[in-house]
Amino acid sequence: MRNPWTRTGNYKTSYAQDTTIFATYSEQASLAVFLIGMLVLPRFLVRGDMQILDLILIYALAVLGLNIITGYAGLINIGHAAFMGVGAYTAALVAPHLPFWAVLPVSGLVAAAAGAVVGIPALRIKHLYLAIATLAFQLIFEWAVGHSPALEQGGAMAMPRGMVFFGYKIAFKNHHYFWYYVSFTVLVLMAFGFRNLLRTRFGRSLVAVRDNDRAADAMGMDPGKTKVFAFALGAFYAGVAGALYAYWSRAVVIEDYSLMISIKFLAMAIVGGLGTLVGSFLGPAFLELLDINMETFSYAIKEIYNPPGVDVGSAIRPLAFGLAIVLFLIFEPRGLANWWRLLRSYFRNWPFKY
Amino acid sequence: MAQLSVENVTLSFGGINALNSVDIVVEPGELVSIIGPNGAGKTSLLNCISGFYHPTHGQITFEGNDLTKASPHTISGYGIARAFQNIELFGGVSVLENLMLARHTYLKYSIGAASVFYGAARRGEVENRRVVEDVIDFMELEPYRKALVGNLPYGVRKRVEVARALSLEPKLLLLDEPMAGMTLEEKEDMVRFILDILAERYTTVILIEHDLGIVMDISDRVYVLDFGMVIATGKPEDVAENPAVIEAYVGGAG
Repeated sequence: MRNPWTRTGNYKTSYAQDTTIFATYSEQASLAVFLIGMLVLPRFLVRGDMQILDLILIYALAVLGLNIITGYAGLINIGHAAFMGVGAYTAALVAPHLPFWAVLPVSGLVAAAAGAVVGIPALRIKHLYLAIATLAFQLIFEWAVGHSPALEQGGAMAMPRGMVFFGYKIAFKNHHYFWYYVSFTVLVLMAFGFRNLLRTRFGRSLVAVRDNDRAADAMGMDPGKTKVFAFALGAFYAGVAGALYAYWSRAVVIEDYSLMISIKFLAMAIVGGLGTLVGSFLGPAFLELLDINMETFSYAIKEIYNPPGVDVGSAIRPLAFGLAIVLFLIFEPRGLANWWRLLRSYFRNWPFKY
Repeated sequence: MAQLSVENVTLSFGGINALNSVDIVVEPGELVSIIGPNGAGKTSLLNCISGFYHPTHGQITFEGNDLTKASPHTISGYGIARAFQNIELFGGVSVLENLMLARHTYLKYSIGAASVFYGAARRGEVENRRVVEDVIDFMELEPYRKALVGNLPYGVRKRVEVARALSLEPKLLLLDEPMAGMTLEEKEDMVRFILDILAERYTTVILIEHDLGIVMDISDRVYVLDFGMVIATGKPEDVAENPAVIEAYVGGAG
């Protein structure tokens, strides 16, 4: 007898069935519970919490883009914040003329175009050399913005305020709540989009050029085109994240898209688990929550131990960030996603193990 | 007309000629073996046919298509598939996905359809899964379908390598030492697979192999390469008695 609730005894009888993502009722149910939980979560949180939650969602979208480029296609990218910046500055320029739901894809597409251009060196160079090329893009981006009067030379470019969405006015009080729902919807849709791509030729070809681009070539994939596609797709995700960030922070400032942020994204991708979808959410959540908790912790430290001339409090945050990355690299290089995988595989055959 | 013709091909790296005026003709449905001592240029020749190297001189044509300057992914589109000497599989994904990757050129759906996995995308995936399942059945890989390639034993990975090439549904299959490092039983299985490929899938096969016993048993024709030159060609029994071949393999009388 077929039992649709568990994997045990749930035999697939067609190839179409074998392509499903959430194969059992219990998996579908837990997804539904999780999504509903995320939708009602803001009811129980205050404005300050929402701000952090929004940031995690937006960073998760950006890190998903980085995972597409670096995790799935294996192309090291240390200029990801610049892609996000391209999206954010596009948003700042077009937001006065377009509604926000049109600004997001436009920002994504402009960033994707930038990504494709940055991807062109990937036709020729690999590994560390490509990483340097992406670093060059980051520096070019920062320099170009810093020298463009049209972009306030990196200073604050204000985003439109007091938007009205279907009669719902977005003001100071509900700002973070509104952008939570927008970010969450966008993240879920784009994550599902990528998860679908993964079970088609587009996603598979990314993994193929990562694992062996010679063999990919012999199997009929153009490795060059695939790499450019990977950069364009990843940059699209970053661009949309950049536009969301711009709306969320109400202004576009160059510091939010600097090299430091690019490194932070790489750290998030590694801590989450490179080349995993779930890692793109776990990494940003873990590091952002760690950062916030360390900030609280640093106030407590200052109370107890505060020698003159040394700012112990503000040293705690970068220290914790660095320590977390080092510990992950040593003890769990596959990231938090690996814990998630172990947890799932434990429950896969539960309660009937045979 | 010949299916594949390699005419006067020379491949040089700096001052060294890896291939020197090589001429090879392959007719449809043949099993042609290329043998020769290590460093004779066998793999270089295969690299020229599959587009990884481009000959310095000469021309390669396959069913009217010029392969001389074509890239590997163009050549695979003409119907030439290749199994590599040193296993070059996609280690991070399953056997099934390795084989589905070989169906890449047959899948035509758009990125829009793919991102919602609906309509053409779903249909294309299921149809091509059927083709891949035929190959899995043919190469007897059923137990390993969902296994990660990187974790499989050597003999099985060699078989996956051939299966992936077959999933392209090629007209010409290039096998570069598919039996290297295998046990006798594994070699016998592989020989059976190769003979079945010829008989059931109507595929021309070019085989590079060091086991002369096998080569002499199953080949229709044999080319012997030494120092980048074809030193003998013909039916296996003729080649085996050719003095130039004996000299290349066991050394001259003096």
